[in-house]
Amino acid sequence: MSYLAPSEFVTKLVDAGESKILMSTKDTLIRAYMAGATLALAAAFAVTINVQTGQPLAGAVLFPVGFCILYLLGYDLLTGVFVLAPLAVWDKRPGCTWNGVLRNWGLVFVGNFAGALTTAVMMAVYFTYGFSTDPSEVGQKLAGIGVARTLGYEQYGAAGWLTIFVRGMLCNWMVSTGVVGAQVSTSVSGKVIAMWMPIMLFFYMTFEHSIVNMFLFPTALMMGGAFTLGDYFWWNEVPTVLGNLVGGVTFTGLMLYSTHIRTSPKRQAAGLKVAA
Amino acid sequence: MTDVLPPASHAGVKNRLAITLGHYSSAGAKLENQDFHGALQPEGADLAAKGIVLCLADGISTSALGATAAETAVKTFLSDYYCTSPAWSVRTSAERVIAATNSWMHAQNRRVLGPVPSDSERERGLVCTFSALILKSRSAHVFHIGDAQVARISGQSVEPLTELHRVDLGGGESYLGRAMGVNRAVEIDYRQVPLVPGDLFMLSTDGVHEYLSARMIVDIIEAAATLDVAARIIAATAQAGGSGDNLTVQLVRIESLPDGGIEDLVGAETSLPPASVLAEGQGFEGYTILRQIHSGSRSHVYLACDDASGAEVALKILSTELAEDPAALSSLLLEEWILRRLDHPNLLRAATHYRARRFAFSVSQYVAGQSLHAWMLDHPMPDLATVREVVKQLASGLQALHRREMVHRDIRPHNVLLDRDGRAIIIDFGSVQVAGLDELAQRPLEAAFAGTIQYSAPELYLGYPATRQSDLYSLGVVAYQMLTGHLPYGPRVAAAGTRAAQRKLTYTPVMHYNPDVPDWMDAAIRKAVNLDPARRYGELSEFVVDLTKPNASLAPAGLMPLFQRGSVRAWKIVSGILAAALLASLLTRPDVAGPSPTPEQEIIP
Repeated sequence: MSYLAPSEFVTKLVDAGESKILMSTKDTLIRAYMAGATLALAAAFAVTINVQTGQPLAGAVLFPVGFCILYLLGYDLLTGVFVLAPLAVWDKRPGCTWNGVLRNWGLVFVGNFAGALTTAVMMAVYFTYGFSTDPSEVGQKLAGIGVARTLGYEQYGAAGWLTIFVRGMLCNWMVSTGVVGAQVSTSVSGKVIAMWMPIMLFFYMTFEHSIVNMFLFPTALMMGGAFTLGDYFWWNEVPTVLGNLVGGVTFTGLMLYSTHIRTSPKRQAAGLKVAA
Repeated sequence: MTDVLPPASHAGVKNRLAITLGHYSSAGAKLENQDFHGALQPEGADLAAKGIVLCLADGISTSALGATAAETAVKTFLSDYYCTSPAWSVRTSAERVIAATNSWMHAQNRRVLGPVPSDSERERGLVCTFSALILKSRSAHVFHIGDAQVARISGQSVEPLTELHRVDLGGGESYLGRAMGVNRAVEIDYRQVPLVPGDLFMLSTDGVHEYLSARMIVDIIEAAATLDVAARIIAATAQAGGSGDNLTVQLVRIESLPDGGIEDLVGAETSLPPASVLAEGQGFEGYTILRQIHSGSRSHVYLACDDASGAEVALKILSTELAEDPAALSSLLLEEWILRRLDHPNLLRAATHYRARRFAFSVSQYVAGQSLHAWMLDHPMPDLATVREVVKQLASGLQALHRREMVHRDIRPHNVLLDRDGRAIIIDFGSVQVAGLDELAQRPLEAAFAGTIQYSAPELYLGYPATRQSDLYSLGVVAYQMLTGHLPYGPRVAAAGTRAAQRKLTYTPVMHYNPDVPDWMDAAIRKAVNLDPARRYGELSEFVVDLTKPNASLAPAGLMPLFQRGSVRAWKIVSGILAAALLASLLTRPDVAGPSPTPEQEIIP
């Protein structure tokens, strides 16, 4: 299993960012749609495991399958492009502008949302026998999650909002490390292992992931969660997206770029020769 | 040849092009043998790059100089063909040599016979037929003028690969329709056929093949112990069959074929292990690594010092990911092979010294300077003279490449260095397409999309091969970007993968971003980056000239819409003044400025 040198995989990340910005609208939307749908399905899978085993760790350990599937298939998550796209602009790649970055983010957001919503509707049908019975146990659990992670934050006011934002930051620090992980190795097994670790961490810690939430909350609403669409956006999705953006760009993108691409010259210790 | 051959232990296991030859020539019923034939079977790099040559010529019988003509044609071809650039295709190389020999013979004839010789005089000069068979890699290339013949013998049939250039006058009378030395220019028949082991070819003059049936030839070859014996019996049988002409036969059988790849050229180096990432101060293959110049996902480049000579060189190795990729390894090794064949001030040069290696890497001259990409960031608005100079130098370097039938395919600012004297040097040759090598193996087009994709010509995205016009497009984009910092069609050329999508791309005039650029320069760039390669300049030099002085045949100068022509800044200033005036008029309106004292109020105390 070959491990790439940091300067190699960071250049690959910049290349990836460039191709995201320059990708056609059609491709961007399709890839984002499928990424949203796939990740949502994995979230449903993980919640089901948690309900059935009563052990949150089991769900967290297995949730990364969704992430691995969508990255191996070349789909794009908003959390990933938050990190990748700006790299190309910082590296002054021709044709890569902040306008292009915002366009990409906008399209990927729309695609992810549509994908997650599709899965949410299908899962809602699944949980309720086509809306003809009360939600199954998993459905009720999802409704509970929806209330806890909107109104639960709201009761703390601004502090609650800040908490979601910070959880969003922590989330994308880990998730985008998973994106980087997909590049550090040239083999499928290496990629999967490198992606698995940070995703598992974020899911167990219930950090706020904008796309997972695009599934959880619409499903929760359909399962009868006692909160409004406005609650969902203001007390969850908006701070989560912003937190994901800040966390991904600062902890992952900027850091890797400034140390592995804009490498500072080595410090020369007096009287010491650099060893081979 | 500067190439060092692989050690014998490596070479032994590889397949190579091997043949068996047989030949015979005699005057037959005539007094003088005016036929001449020859074959050359080189070794090593020449064998891979240029192949094996067999050729024969038949001097015209009416001329006393016929024998001289035939000998000259054959000997010149055998020596000059191997002096042509190894980068040239077989066809280009052979046709150039034949054309040169033809015009020399033609000039000799005119000197002796005067400017307008009669037909009968013409037949007394240096005139001959000429046919050549060149075996390179897994193909045979046939060149033919006159009434000799190149034929492939397979099974029971003899398949002629050439046709007789003969004009029949009726009554058994005929004359040669095409020959060397008759006209200033000569039309050469060319044909390429794939080879398989066991293929048998026969080259013969008209005194032979006109008097034998296919059946007889096949039987003779089958019965004969060697091809030499077969050739002699074929000639004897033709003479017995009534041939009154000179008799020449060459037979060649393909015994084994090479694998057909660039390994044939760069030798066993493709089996060398890849080098791992190097560190400063590390010793490597007789070099000391001084520092890293570039590190990316495809390759690493280091400034290194040659321990033997003390010279500074640039040393390139593959990245971890590509190290296992045979195509990438071939490109890396070929890059140095290409460098060794180039000598031009605007092209990177190979390192002077070559040693046997234990790892796969490439070495070149080190150029201290700044990449054009970095320079453009430092100089967002360069003066026109500098842009012209850089474009001119790059064009000059590209022309040198194109003359060797190479297409660069990856011209972009990262691949151009500006050295301390302001010289522009093209540095990366990893994507270069070489006509002479494509005959060895078709290399994947993927290389054209390496790195950034903004400079590749649009036809490449439709799957067409790169041409000289593709390099012109890239150069045009570089010129455009130097002047504006933008791209002529915006960033989405690569996303337009169909003709319909490409038609929707619109060219933004240079003046839109940089009003200081004259419209005739824009017209030149617009033509250079035309989406249709056929509508670009035919030659790089035309582009360079049109960038320097206005070309009246281009450009609807002054016909541009006003909003495209004018400077945006001027409109902004006008709008600003108008906005300020509007604001002033609003603020000074009586009802906005506050009540002014009315006459009644003045009266009331």
